[in-house]
Amino acid sequence: MSGEVALLLSAALLVTVISALFSRSMAMTLISMFYASLVVGVIFTLYQGILVGLLHIIIFAGAVSVMLLTAVLMTGETDLGIGKRSLAVLLSAVTILIVGAASYSLFSTLPSGVAETPTMNLLEFVWVFRPWDLLILVIIFAASMTVVVNLLSKEQ
Amino acid sequence: MLTDQTIFTTTAAVLVFLGVFAISYSKNLLKTIVSFQVVVFGANLGLFASGLGGSSSLMANTLVLFSIVVGGSVEAVGLALIVLVHKKYGTLDPGKIRRLRD
Repeated sequence: MSGEVALLLSAALLVTVISALFSRSMAMTLISMFYASLVVGVIFTLYQGILVGLLHIIIFAGAVSVMLLTAVLMTGETDLGIGKRSLAVLLSAVTILIVGAASYSLFSTLPSGVAETPTMNLLEFVWVFRPWDLLILVIIFAASMTVVVNLLSKEQ
Repeated sequence: MLTDQTIFTTTAAVLVFLGVFAISYSKNLLKTIVSFQVVVFGANLGLFASGLGGSSSLMANTLVLFSIVVGGSVEAVGLALIVLVHKKYGTLDPGKIRRLRD
């Protein structure tokens, strides 16, 4: 796999982690950590570690994010800052750009669209094509974007 | 030559450094847990990157799996302790908690 994808994913990971650590709003921190968990899971998945990537996404983007949100709600220590639609739109645009750039780079570097080695025997007829792999990741990203936009919208 | 392994190892080192820095300067226990999560991400990425180039990929994946489970468990226990501390002291600032305890 080309180094451009690794660079893009590393940049996305660093941006999300920095925004999580150095933002004043706890809502921004939680959302950024959710995205960082997804990016780390995508890195593992793209580099032949599908089981590790899926487990990482399930545990950190799923369970730990929910536990963090529950702890914030129970303690009520910080303002959740709900109602920033512009921030949600900005986050969505950045995510779309990152996913678009990564997918363009992936599709342009694969000559025939076939992965070098199938990573699992489970559902091999699906995983034999790398674009299917990427499509599922894009669907996960789109679903997470929808959740973020719903969380931050003023109607909530 | 900038390989994928080099890129991910550098990113992992930066993540661990950022996490330790944020743990040191955090004034909120929730932010401390988030910083610890960043350190776990860095450790996982470093372990995974160590198995990218050679034949030790399976060993690296196994270590990452172990690290994920341990990291998630530690964060769950830490969050439970944070909720208990907030119930007892009413704040999440470590400095205030230290003064209230004395």
